[in-house]
Amino acid sequence: MPTTTSSSASSSSSVSCNNRQADVFSRLASSDPEVKLKALREVKNQIIGNRTKKLSFLKLGAIPAIASVLADADDSDKCNNILVQSAAAIGSFACGFEAGVQAVLDAGVFPHLLRLLTNPDEKVVDAGARSLRMIFQSNQAPKYDFLQEKNMEFLFSLLNSENENVSGLGASIIAHACGTSVEQRVLCEAGVLEKLVILLDGSLSQREACLESLATVLKNNPEAVSDFVGLESGRYFNSVTELTKDRYPRTRLLSCLCLVVIYNTSPSYFINMGTKSSLITTLLELLNDPGQSGDDAALGLSCLIAEKEDLQQLAYEADAIKNIVDILRTGSELQPRRLQGLFLSLAELCSKLEDCRCSFLSLQVLDLLTNALRHKDADVRAAACICFRNAARSVKSLSAGRFNSDHVMLPLVQLLHDPSSSVQVAVLGALSNIVLDFSSPKSSFIEYGGIKQLIELSKSMDPNARCSALRALRNLMFLADNKRKELFCSDVKAQGFACLISDPEPPVQEQALALLRNLVDGCISSIEFVFDEDGLILDTVGRQLRKAPQAQMAIQGMYVLTNVASGTELHKEAVMQQLFPQAKAGSENFMLKFLQSDESQLRSATVWTIINLISPSSPGAFDRHVKLRNAGIIPQLKNMVNDACLDVKIRIRTVLGQSMSFGDNY
Amino acid sequence: MWLLIRLHDLIWSHQRSDFYQTERRRRKKMPVRVVESNTPAQVSGTDPGNRSPLPPSSLLGAGQAFSGTQNVSNQQKEEAWRVNVQIQGIDLEHGYLCGTMEALNVPMADTPVITFWEGEIVDGKNYTFYTGKWEATREDDMRHWSKFPSFSPLQGQVESDGGRQLDLNNYPYIFMRWKEQYFVNVGTDCGLTIAGFYYVCFSCSDGSISGFYYDPNSSPFQKLELKTVNEGRSGFSFSSYELQ
Repeated sequence: MPTTTSSSASSSSSVSCNNRQADVFSRLASSDPEVKLKALREVKNQIIGNRTKKLSFLKLGAIPAIASVLADADDSDKCNNILVQSAAAIGSFACGFEAGVQAVLDAGVFPHLLRLLTNPDEKVVDAGARSLRMIFQSNQAPKYDFLQEKNMEFLFSLLNSENENVSGLGASIIAHACGTSVEQRVLCEAGVLEKLVILLDGSLSQREACLESLATVLKNNPEAVSDFVGLESGRYFNSVTELTKDRYPRTRLLSCLCLVVIYNTSPSYFINMGTKSSLITTLLELLNDPGQSGDDAALGLSCLIAEKEDLQQLAYEADAIKNIVDILRTGSELQPRRLQGLFLSLAELCSKLEDCRCSFLSLQVLDLLTNALRHKDADVRAAACICFRNAARSVKSLSAGRFNSDHVMLPLVQLLHDPSSSVQVAVLGALSNIVLDFSSPKSSFIEYGGIKQLIELSKSMDPNARCSALRALRNLMFLADNKRKELFCSDVKAQGFACLISDPEPPVQEQALALLRNLVDGCISSIEFVFDEDGLILDTVGRQLRKAPQAQMAIQGMYVLTNVASGTELHKEAVMQQLFPQAKAGSENFMLKFLQSDESQLRSATVWTIINLISPSSPGAFDRHVKLRNAGIIPQLKNMVNDACLDVKIRIRTVLGQSMSFGDNY
Repeated sequence: MWLLIRLHDLIWSHQRSDFYQTERRRRKKMPVRVVESNTPAQVSGTDPGNRSPLPPSSLLGAGQAFSGTQNVSNQQKEEAWRVNVQIQGIDLEHGYLCGTMEALNVPMADTPVITFWEGEIVDGKNYTFYTGKWEATREDDMRHWSKFPSFSPLQGQVESDGGRQLDLNNYPYIFMRWKEQYFVNVGTDCGLTIAGFYYVCFSCSDGSISGFYYDPNSSPFQKLELKTVNEGRSGFSFSSYELQ
């Protein structure tokens, strides 16, 4: 009779597989050591390098079963093989498999592995050390308290061991558990640097463990860097530099990452331009490594060049942009971590140099970026957004309308609702820049309902989101026509806007005022917005300015007043009302305080308000001048004729020139 | 700005050849020490560490608009185009600014012609008075800068050491070169070119701008004169953006 062969075959093989796996468990629990040993080897051999098998056995509860085997085996010679195999199996579960690490730790196997390190049999010690190293590769590794003296003694006993896996374990513990500057200091004072550098001359595994741990101990710690560089007059520093040319990619990578840490902590040790170039070139080459080294190289490169224009220039000259774009275009599936690193590297390259931005955009990369916006990994989406943000710092490209297409805008707008908050923050940053589209009054961002979404985000519980949303709105309203302004003002009425200006967070207030400044710029009729609801907004601005605000907020507030004061007589008088409110007669005028600010932009903004108030073409200028003089403001300006800031000095002379036209001599 | 129609080209090339012939004859009579210099306008790491960027000037900021004329007269006729300029971005740290220039009543065009330009700010840190490119020699540079009255106090020092000792941070004029990069609203086949660049002087006190267009193939010294625009307001108004 015909039967369905393939499906029944696969289901029967699956049943058979499960049966074998279940059988393994019963053999693991056997009292016969030989049976137990065979079962352990079977599990270990199946899971090595096989993530699917690891998951499968994990779900069946293999780890607790093996943990029991390990716990029950004593330290006698006859149990050594069992100890070795169970440790190896545990280590394999933990190797590069986070769920495995979690399960291993949950099974309480950690202390049993530690016990193996003092076993008289070298093979047992080795197996235990290797297994523990796997655990310490993971962020889930237990916290190691370096401040406890006995822990430090234990650590040094590991570092002093002649067994390379044990000393490597010591280095791994440091690499992954040392997190604070206090811990770094305690380790350095105990002499850890001197112990670690010895490993640089050891085996491959020791060298790599040493490089990783050095990077952790030296990170952001100038004293530790100075100690390290000073060891044997720079011998070990030179060794690390030489290792960037090692034949093993992982060694080259780890030595580069170590140098990146040293550079970021104490750049003065890198006066040689050749070393910087060489470091960048090595990292760029490593980007092509198919393994984890390539993943880490990408992130390492972005860390190295972050905030450093000179290094970005070197990387640009080394053709970094094209190299990275070519890798992204290979078509092969890249690991999320590598993608993240590549996009972040591109983002850093585009962060300060217009040449880089133009070069990047000339490679027709928007498709690459928009595809990455849809990646399943949140870190990749965020990195792509940051890349967009930095590329869009190119005013030239914004002006050419490079980003104003549906193809680009739609996925960005969609990310405003991304489940990941880091992606939302990143996309707000990108949109903030991209909405500055000088090329056309028509904005696809607005067509996709962007304004409403930003208004919603301006009410977020998260102050960063509120600030970013307002900044994006501010940029959107830069030189906006009345139609665009109306889209905002009709949704956010005066009351709503007054709340934004009165936000508890100063950066949010600053952006709200900057937005208002743009709303009242342009066509003179747009000033009317501040008079809605009986002048609620203008009153709120005045009130905030009287509260001794931070300089940046005050600058924006004064520019609001400047812009309003460039309007009609009514507008100018309304500004005077804010400067000299009846109810507050007698108190020191905030303008006097602002004129004495250390912040030149604030002094400048304040003087501009005065210039507009006493602009000679306006009928009420003379009376306003009298009031400003009587309030001590004009005399204060006379004291500032030689202000240290050229712009302020020039504006003051303009005011005093106007003053003279009213018969006031200086 | 840009060269007009071909007829104008022909007229000018004839005149120019006369002009240069005259110059060559003059030079033959007077032995002149010709200093060939490849010093680029852009300071390339020689002294940037000791120089700071220029301080901000309120009227030379993103969003500021200027309006005026460019005189494109030649011997045949007087002509001026109305010109509007808007600054779109400024990066004092790198001595860079950019914006658009709109020319109205251009005979060749049915609509106003808009170009996007990028500028170099002469700050002694990023750029000097010497252009070093765009077919402008040092002599061309000096010939143009010296047409600005505000350049006179600086001229001696610029001629002697390129102006390296000058403290431009406290000088109430800002010198720039503006180079148009592309047409925004017309095609490159519109019959106009943007091969040259402007020598520009900006007055920090009142925001007025004057400039001279330089293009070896165009009428010399076409003058640009602009003033700030206040859009019907009684005073100055300022918009701003912040790049993340």
